[in-house]
Amino acid sequence: MSDITQTLPTSTPRRPSKGRTDLVIGLGLLALAVAAPFFIESRYMMGQVILGLFWASVAVQWNLLFGYAGIFSLGQMAVFAVGGYSTAMLAHYLGWNIFGAIAAGAVIATLFSAIVGLACLRLQGVYVALLTYAIAQVIYLLIVTDTGCFEMVGTSCRQFTGGATGFARFGDFGMRPILHGDWIKGNYAIVLVSFVLSMGASWIILHGPMGLAFKALRDNQPYAVARGINRFHTQLLIFGISAFFTGLTGGLYATHFQAIGPNIFSISSLLFILAIVVIGGIGIFWGPVIGTIVLMTADEAMREMGDFRTIGLGLIIAGAVVLLPNGLVEKLTDILRKLRQ
Amino acid sequence: MDLLVAILSTGLTNGALYALATVGLSLIWGSMGMLNMAHGAMLALGGYTAFTISSSLGLPVWLAVLIASAVGALAGMVLYIAVVRALLKAAGKNFETSVMIATVGISIALQNALLLVYGGQPLAQPFGVSGALRIGDSAVPLLSMLIIAVAVVVMVILALLIGRTRMGRAIRATAQNREAAQLMGVAVERTYLQVLALSGAVAGICGVLVSSITQLSPTLGADPMLKAFIMCVVAGLGNLPGAVAAAFGLALVEAAVQFGMGARWGFPVLLMLVIAILIWRPNGLFGRAQIRRM
Repeated sequence: MSDITQTLPTSTPRRPSKGRTDLVIGLGLLALAVAAPFFIESRYMMGQVILGLFWASVAVQWNLLFGYAGIFSLGQMAVFAVGGYSTAMLAHYLGWNIFGAIAAGAVIATLFSAIVGLACLRLQGVYVALLTYAIAQVIYLLIVTDTGCFEMVGTSCRQFTGGATGFARFGDFGMRPILHGDWIKGNYAIVLVSFVLSMGASWIILHGPMGLAFKALRDNQPYAVARGINRFHTQLLIFGISAFFTGLTGGLYATHFQAIGPNIFSISSLLFILAIVVIGGIGIFWGPVIGTIVLMTADEAMREMGDFRTIGLGLIIAGAVVLLPNGLVEKLTDILRKLRQ
Repeated sequence: MDLLVAILSTGLTNGALYALATVGLSLIWGSMGMLNMAHGAMLALGGYTAFTISSSLGLPVWLAVLIASAVGALAGMVLYIAVVRALLKAAGKNFETSVMIATVGISIALQNALLLVYGGQPLAQPFGVSGALRIGDSAVPLLSMLIIAVAVVVMVILALLIGRTRMGRAIRATAQNREAAQLMGVAVERTYLQVLALSGAVAGICGVLVSSITQLSPTLGADPMLKAFIMCVVAGLGNLPGAVAAAFGLALVEAAVQFGMGARWGFPVLLMLVIAILIWRPNGLFGRAQIRRM
């Protein structure tokens, strides 16, 4: 029923973002990001900014999946974890160079995602959400309940998957000998480059033929299919591409913190990603960036509140869905438009 | 023989618990197309309510279960009034996903509120049923039998409520065709409120039962909810009798795998089975293919 109204021009206020505007916003943000390490002195703040870049990068990819391709995947953090775990395990067991391990981790995450996609993407909507969530939980349970000894570390035994503790100290970016006390700024540069790559890739996808295919599938699926767009193939392709960048981010995350453990699968980290996208605006290109800035600031402000922090985060998400159904970016543009008139 | 008795008793007990959790989820999905991710937190709420009532107020167990169920119903109503009603009006086509994200948020908030009040360490329900029925060389705990009995009674009451009462007729009518029901004079908003209250009441009882065989923790509902989701999907979302059948069937398979291959493989094998079923029948075992109007 609602599909008919959607084809009417009056009911589609969301215009595709323009290339030039995006470029200006992007360059402005990039200039800010490049200037940031020269102004931020505290290592803690620098760490928080890096963490923000990690979350924003994952959120951008999830926005691509859900906001544009309409795949409601709850397995995003599992893909992230596969990237991180692969990096850690390759570096730990095989002694790979860390950058090689990160690249391999991204590829493994893509393969993993392709398998999950083959199993899940024949279905639609909430069925996809439930299955991807269940798959993530199964991997988590298998890692946590792993008790078989794979190798001895001192007197204690370590499981092949790292078990409940995970992996630590398998290598770093090698910034300490070069930059000494400022090593975190080196890490920041690497993470920023990967974030820019992730943003750039999603922009190119959205403004290419694939972006048009998604728009067609979202606006009127039967018509799009009749015009020869294969939903399954298009969705599987985007599932793989977004997994590559999510896995890459996972590998960088593991290397930056020099640790990866099963708690990365927890629902609260997935929730944080969902919240970023919902608050910024689902299906809006700059939404995840805005959402990350807002949520990281709110999270930092709630630090004083201790135990109430998680409750606050949960309520913010529920409140944002109810009060800002189209996200903060849309709300602000609405207000601006009204002011202008 | 012993193994068979063990598998049957574990499978049927878990099946009863999963069935109760599944019915609560499936009821909401079937009538309003809403996937309630806060269902697990509502299970925990029910468990903790019964704990507080029976340990600090010293009231009898049956009363504690009833109050837990009432609190669950209340939580369902609050959820409708605070979140779902606004989303039904505003979200339109995106309702399915919006409500899922919003209830995930509610679930996190509720679980952490329970964590703040009761602390993180697992608690044991103050009541329990000891003793066991001996069958040959193996023993079936009386608690398991009680759980199955309570679950069956609750499901029969629910079936009567939906099948025989005026309220049930309104719920079924709304589920079949919301607009038509509204035109026939069904107060759709009130019906939705009733559905969420019913589902919350079932969740409250289910939470008490789950916590009586495991332990009380804020995340006690997460595992039954996850399995219940899977069973809903296998049965075809919104199909109540199918959901109950899938719950018992899959619980028996899970128990068999757990005894045969070790406890940690129960869920993975279950999931593989489910994915295989879904590739074979994308609308679930008992689900009818939906014809979407354009």
